[in-house]
Amino acid sequence: MRCFIGIDLGSTTTKAVVIDESRNVIGRGITNSRSNYDTAAKIAKQEALLNGRFYLFRQALGDSGALNGALDTFLAQLERSFRYEQYLEQLADLEATCQRSVATAKFGDATASVSAALAEVFRRLATQSAALFAPGAKAKSDFFRDIAGSQYLATGEVVAKESGIRYDFLLNVFDRSIIEVENRVYSDSIKRHLLSALERTFVTLPETASRREKIEAPIKGILDTALEETYVVGTGYGRARLPFSKEHIRSEILCHGLGAHVMHPGTATVLDIGGQDTKAIQVDPHGIVESFQMNDRCAAGCGRYLGYIADEMNMGLHELGPMAMKSTKTIRINSTCTVFAGAELRDRLSLGDKREDIMAGLHRAIILRAMSILARSGGIRNEFTFTGGVAKNEAAVKALKDLVRENYGALTLNINPDSIYTGALGGATFAWRAVVEEGKIAEARS
Amino acid sequence: MISTIGIDIGSGAVKSALFRSDGDQHEWLAKRCERIRRRDPMQLAQEVYEGVLADAGLKPEAVDYIATTGEGENVKFATGHFYSMTTHARGGVFLHPGINAVVDVGALNGRAIYVDDRGKVLSYKMTSQCASGSGQFLENIARYLGVAIEEIGPLSKTSQNPEKVSSICAVLAETDVINMVSRGIATNDILKGIHLSMASRIVKLLKVTGIKEGSALLTGGLALDTGLLAAIQEEMVNEKVNVTAMSHPDSIYAGAVGAALWGAFRHGKLRELEERAAA
Repeated sequence: MRCFIGIDLGSTTTKAVVIDESRNVIGRGITNSRSNYDTAAKIAKQEALLNGRFYLFRQALGDSGALNGALDTFLAQLERSFRYEQYLEQLADLEATCQRSVATAKFGDATASVSAALAEVFRRLATQSAALFAPGAKAKSDFFRDIAGSQYLATGEVVAKESGIRYDFLLNVFDRSIIEVENRVYSDSIKRHLLSALERTFVTLPETASRREKIEAPIKGILDTALEETYVVGTGYGRARLPFSKEHIRSEILCHGLGAHVMHPGTATVLDIGGQDTKAIQVDPHGIVESFQMNDRCAAGCGRYLGYIADEMNMGLHELGPMAMKSTKTIRINSTCTVFAGAELRDRLSLGDKREDIMAGLHRAIILRAMSILARSGGIRNEFTFTGGVAKNEAAVKALKDLVRENYGALTLNINPDSIYTGALGGATFAWRAVVEEGKIAEARS
Repeated sequence: MISTIGIDIGSGAVKSALFRSDGDQHEWLAKRCERIRRRDPMQLAQEVYEGVLADAGLKPEAVDYIATTGEGENVKFATGHFYSMTTHARGGVFLHPGINAVVDVGALNGRAIYVDDRGKVLSYKMTSQCASGSGQFLENIARYLGVAIEEIGPLSKTSQNPEKVSSICAVLAETDVINMVSRGIATNDILKGIHLSMASRIVKLLKVTGIKEGSALLTGGLALDTGLLAAIQEEMVNEKVNVTAMSHPDSIYAGAVGAALWGAFRHGKLRELEERAAA
């Protein structure tokens, strides 16, 4: 079947969206942007196509009624089993790569014992891995680097102590190997993993095994259907480095405007707060950009501002919002610059202000910056759509709602749970238009 | 004979200096410096204060005046506080008599102070709002590059093709540096590029003060960065500013030295007033 794909290469994560001929979103994929943009784009696309397969499984199995009532459980289990298969392959690859790096590292007499310790670490990681993908297991991250990394660090510390080798040798080996593993695309093994995952799922959910044939047939049928990459459009911070011809690149402003319009057709003003920039975009009733303003090359007012504060406070990024929600008092943060705000935060803590009140002040500060960018772009019109990673932060959303009400009155504020994919969706829509409305064909990079 | 202590609380380090003065004769007896590194500056102020007392072998009651500067307004045991513009000016002239300007590059701020031969401030200009080009900024970059602070200067001086950077955000510099590294640019060229960008900001500040010629002493935490000094010198030539930039091994103490000397001056004035009132 024909697929239209948008890839948004952000500074922190790379997102891809796949839509079909009737402009239904069939798949979304996300990965961490590595130092290698080509790989990030490839993996995000592969994830989105995989997600698309699951969408098609759901459709086919839902139509056939083979899993009446148990569809969600079955597909969730299938996906977990697939992730498990994939994890095992990457883990084996990581082990082989680590062992190769030990051989070339300058550990002197310790080489043999490091290699033995490494084998022990990976033996334990393999036994621990099933639990990571068990039903109800909470994943802190979906990215291999993070999952394997946190397991490796914890287990490595124990093993290093037991075997009396230096922990930093193990760290060094991991750091040198993970980049290599992370930059490999395992596209050939997806179908094989899906088939093994299917077998595993029948074992885990024995009640479905009796209907095996009715379940298997549509899944195998979909696996044999080629998902043709009819047209790909790239956008985002790293778009200039994508392996596409110029025809396949659109600015992130255009893609965000169009993506927000596709998600919420009534959108007139878009605010996007991403990792490294903040954009305010005015769009017409067709999703075409009328004007925009953006804050570039300064972290104040972007997601990175909150990331920096989280580092200063030794907290996780996702913990900031909930903490700020507990605030009972308004504190005004006077610094614009992120580094100065970090210093102000320390001063205020030493003066005895409460963490939650300061946090609320910091969230208000970033939204205040956004309000001024919005004002310069032409103000806020109804409906107003908020996108980007910061739209997931409840304290930022609360501050935005308050400030919009104070300055512009009652407006419809749209926040989509998939707002992180806005740019990629816009890109996919451009890809669809290029082929379906303008009759273009894909072009190779010149 | 009077004894004074100057304490300079910056955003990166806390410095102290102990002086014995007799009229215009000043003898520098002890100095201490502690990097803050997320510790409590007030606690460190106490430590460097006790440190110089111990080094000079003095009891607390033997000190006539304790002067603070920088962020030191809230130091409880201080006698008085001086504005950092005046202390850096006075300290700079003490370290290097004859200079015409003091350029202070600290962890968060930079300032250029045009002074006369007695250390009186004629005019000044400082950065605000943005930490781009500050010491903190350079430290962040060095950390991403895995370069120790002492190595920055020597490395930067070996660069042949500095990578031009526009003034970039101290926080977003991380991704900029990742991009530069992934483009295969050498560490020394990145550092030199950053030094040049910082230097251009500093020389602009200096120009605004109205100085026409002479010499400028670098003070503050970055004064010992030989790469920055060389970059400033290059930038002065490019911008046709007829000023020679120089540094001093004790440049980091300029604020504390200035505070101690101003403390001695104020103590003398106060005593004069008291004597006059008594008479």
